[in-house]
Amino acid sequence: MNKQPLLSKVSIAVAALASILMFAWPLLIATDSQNENLLAQAVFMALMPLIIAIVLVEFSTGEIGSRQLAILGVMTAINAVIRLLGAGTAGIETAFFLIIIGAYIFRSGFGFILGSASILVSALLGAGVGPWLPFQMMAAGLVGIGAGALPRFKGKFAQLLTLCVYAVLASFVYGALMTLWNWPFLAGADSSVSYEAGAGLGANLLRFLNYEIATGGLLWDAGRAITTCALILIAAPALLTSLRRAANRGGFEG
Amino acid sequence: MIQKLASKIHPSTWWVISLALAVIAGSATSIVQTLSVAALSVLLILVFRENAPWARSLKFYLILALAVVVIRVVFRIVFSFSQETDDILLELPRFELDFGLGAIGLLGNVSAPAMLGALLDGSRLAAIILAIAVANTLANPRKLLKSAPGALYEIATSVSVAINLAPQLIESFARVRRARGLRGKGRKSSTLNGLLIPVLEDTLDRSLLLAASMDARGFGRKSTQSKGELLLARVLGLQSLLAITMGVFVLLSGFSAPAAMTLLAIGAVTSVISVRLTSRRNSRTSIARTARTPIDFAVIAACSVLLIVHFAWAVMPV
Amino acid sequence: MQCSSDCSLCLGGDAGLISLKNFTFTYKNGDEAKLNRASVDIKAGQFVLVCGATGSGKSTLLKALVGLVPHFSGGTASGVRTIDGQDFSRAMPHETAHLIGYVNQQPEGAFVADTVLEELAFALEQLAIGRDEMIRRVDAALAATGLSELRNRKLFELSGGQQQRVAIAAALSAGQKILVLDEPTSALDPLAAKELLEFVWRLSRSEGITVIVAEHRIERLVGLVDSVIIVNNDGTVSQGEPQTQLAKFKFVPPLIELAHQLAWPKVLLSIEHAAEEFARSAPHTTKRIAHLPLGSEVLNAERVTVDYGSLRAVDSVSLSAKAGEVIAVMGENGSGKTSLLWALQGTGNRGDGRISVAGQDPATLTATERLSVVAMVPQQAADLLFLPNLGDELDEADEVAEAKSASTSQLFEQFSGRIDPSIHPRDLSSGQQLALVLAMQLVKNASLVILDEPTRGLDYAAKKQVAQVLRNLASSGKAVIFASHDVEFIAQSADRVIQLEAGKVIADQPVETALEYRADNSLASQVAQITKLPGVIALQQVVTNE
Repeated sequence: MNKQPLLSKVSIAVAALASILMFAWPLLIATDSQNENLLAQAVFMALMPLIIAIVLVEFSTGEIGSRQLAILGVMTAINAVIRLLGAGTAGIETAFFLIIIGAYIFRSGFGFILGSASILVSALLGAGVGPWLPFQMMAAGLVGIGAGALPRFKGKFAQLLTLCVYAVLASFVYGALMTLWNWPFLAGADSSVSYEAGAGLGANLLRFLNYEIATGGLLWDAGRAITTCALILIAAPALLTSLRRAANRGGFEG
Repeated sequence: MIQKLASKIHPSTWWVISLALAVIAGSATSIVQTLSVAALSVLLILVFRENAPWARSLKFYLILALAVVVIRVVFRIVFSFSQETDDILLELPRFELDFGLGAIGLLGNVSAPAMLGALLDGSRLAAIILAIAVANTLANPRKLLKSAPGALYEIATSVSVAINLAPQLIESFARVRRARGLRGKGRKSSTLNGLLIPVLEDTLDRSLLLAASMDARGFGRKSTQSKGELLLARVLGLQSLLAITMGVFVLLSGFSAPAAMTLLAIGAVTSVISVRLTSRRNSRTSIARTARTPIDFAVIAACSVLLIVHFAWAVMPV
Repeated sequence: MQCSSDCSLCLGGDAGLISLKNFTFTYKNGDEAKLNRASVDIKAGQFVLVCGATGSGKSTLLKALVGLVPHFSGGTASGVRTIDGQDFSRAMPHETAHLIGYVNQQPEGAFVADTVLEELAFALEQLAIGRDEMIRRVDAALAATGLSELRNRKLFELSGGQQQRVAIAAALSAGQKILVLDEPTSALDPLAAKELLEFVWRLSRSEGITVIVAEHRIERLVGLVDSVIIVNNDGTVSQGEPQTQLAKFKFVPPLIELAHQLAWPKVLLSIEHAAEEFARSAPHTTKRIAHLPLGSEVLNAERVTVDYGSLRAVDSVSLSAKAGEVIAVMGENGSGKTSLLWALQGTGNRGDGRISVAGQDPATLTATERLSVVAMVPQQAADLLFLPNLGDELDEADEVAEAKSASTSQLFEQFSGRIDPSIHPRDLSSGQQLALVLAMQLVKNASLVILDEPTRGLDYAAKKQVAQVLRNLASSGKAVIFASHDVEFIAQSADRVIQLEAGKVIADQPVETALEYRADNSLASQVAQITKLPGVIALQQVVTNE
């Protein structure tokens, strides 16, 4: 789980590309046929779970021991529970800081699984299963992959700063991805803030930003960024110590 | 009697029902269709649900479905900016708003067809949500995880550990909060750390005990799989991802929908083969009856018939 | 028994042999070795007791036998492990899962499934046994352990003792011939603990299973075992006959300590033999228990009632405690001990009744104010600890209590000696964690001290220390109330015993009455059972008549 072979890395990169396209299709789609738009939407919904499955397999065929699985299970459960506890309060996102910190210590593979599994478990326990679920899982998994690839600086301050900067970035990217997902559903194709099929990336980006502003999506993301940063600043030093203690692995000498 | 029947149905069969209903809802062309799917879904849930935590969420799904319809209609009114003149339901003044990103038109005339369109769109998503709620409230996630493909066995175990842990964790939080009350609040004690760290440490300790117990009972054994087979599985995995990516590009570029669908189908099939191949490294058996029964096949057959009738109806010349 | 060191040479027909040779294990580079060239050699069908002081590496030895050390513990190891003569030195635990079963202290934390049937099937599923064969084997295991009627029950519905039995059955369901048990009775009340150990012993005899068990309360096992392994604090290990081994072991139960104290020629391993020997070599003069003179009333509780929904956990309990008094609250799991203690402390749920501690109702005070009235050490003392090192925890405690700096650390030092303040609080032993929390709670000199199960996971030496701390607190004018199952600890520390059953007080007696020898008294201490003298319950009461 620590060292990914090259083949696996390529697969994961391709999977990330494919999934981002599936999020961003309203910005990119060239045809303005309403049927083909609906078709794209439906097909992507069906394919996303498959892509998640392949990425999960890629990350778990490496060495993933019982110990790491147990830590994964615990962190997933804690994350799901605090996500449920924090749910319903606008702009408060309590699930991200554990994903980011966990991924930072145990690397990208752990981060992807932790991110997607946290979302899955909290959805199963708290009525969050819907057509959006695979997309949320993928977006949270991508946040985990990114956090696992962050540079590891020596100083405590530099580590915290890295985590916070990433938290802000990840909050907005996650928000943008999920808004892209619900954009065609909530705004339809016929309002002044809807995507306009075939209008090109530039024009649609402007419309998307308008949609984000009109729906207050950016405020929501800012709330997520702030809470995640605050939680990281408060909890990261102690969490890093606890998790590193748990991660300590043994071996035979000679 | 009904409960007994429900417990005999394989969890994946509930997903087949759910997805069939969702497909019908997604391709519905009239509000009558979407309403029927929604009604059928709610009926299924009411008849078959057991007394389990995941089965108590119907109310939430209903609220969510209603909210989707309302949001869609409100969007249609607020951001319509229409000058239509036929079948006007509501005449509102038109505004323009500019955040420096191009103007957004607000309000304007609201016509009956536009409202109907918004209602259909909204109820489509609402019906999909309720259709999926069928699987979420009726399929026991633990049983479902047991029938996960072998390649995902480790992760499925981890997730089912998490599902089992969650209620215990809520207890731990309560216990630690009580203990916290013994110590007043100081400079270094934030509520978050005072709660989170003891719970995390405690749960980590317990999970390592659990991991030890599982490993000592054979968890983590793998049957020997030839390197070649494993490599083939990885290559197929990559190939399926490439096919899917290309398919997505082709579909988005509007070049040819059939070509795109072919690529996507190839991707989907090879990905399933790849996961199956990887699954062979796990030779575990299961005491739970994971095989489907005739009831399951009957239900699946009924769903297929329903789908065929639905699409035949749609393409039939009237 | 004949082949002394190298067992692979005399490999017999039956399975169940296990050995370690020159096994050394260290957590971190530079640390002292937890196990130091440890060699043990266990024959098929033997029943072996592993003992050692808390933190001595007793658990580490068991985990090394199973293969969990070093793979799950961190650290580095060297040495040889063999099972049935085959070398498994570097094998992961799952590679020997078909040969050896392992059960740790908290079975409820180690369950994988949610029903008994699935729990027992887990190992068989991992070993890829076919479904029909699996069901046959699970039923056989259930029958062998007498658990057939629990087959389809949910695990969380079972009692602690039943859960522990299911865990044992699950560890043996794949036909393992070696069973390793790490403190199987630590969470059980005395009766359940006794039944469990008898169950294991019968299982070992009827199925020919090798059992290796670590247990603090040695007295429950000394009469049953074939061999005793002692793990010393320096990580060295010795193995031998129970009698010779226990004669040289320092942390022994009152049964053996009495033999030392009375200078009997040899150690006797059962209460019956010791009682005969005592009767033969009598008379001995006995002293009365030294109770402190009681001071003013510290706690007065009247008709305290605690409800959880429709369940009445504490039912109209009245009790008072005076300065200088140590009170033990006994009762089965679920009898309302913990609820009562938390209600007395003031933060617990309380439906009805009146509580006054030093003239104030603790429920009306803030956390900081309460510290100067009542101190509480919860069952899991570590719940209070969340800072990354001991020094921070101590400073934080001073600050919260608005006490002079270093006052907590002075108290802590009194209780447990000097400890490096940079250590992580979770790396302290359970006794040290208890001392730390006690120091934090006592920094404002509260007049009432409450402890919930203070001896969980402590060995005899640490228990003696805790008993001494409680006696000192009483003599400094405090009232102490604690809940416990531990008869021998209560005999050493308490003045009065209150017994709860279903939330009601069923007895409130002086300790020498509660624990003395009577034919129908299941709470009689070992000394009481040996001397059979009225009012004699503790070692210090028995002296030689030289």
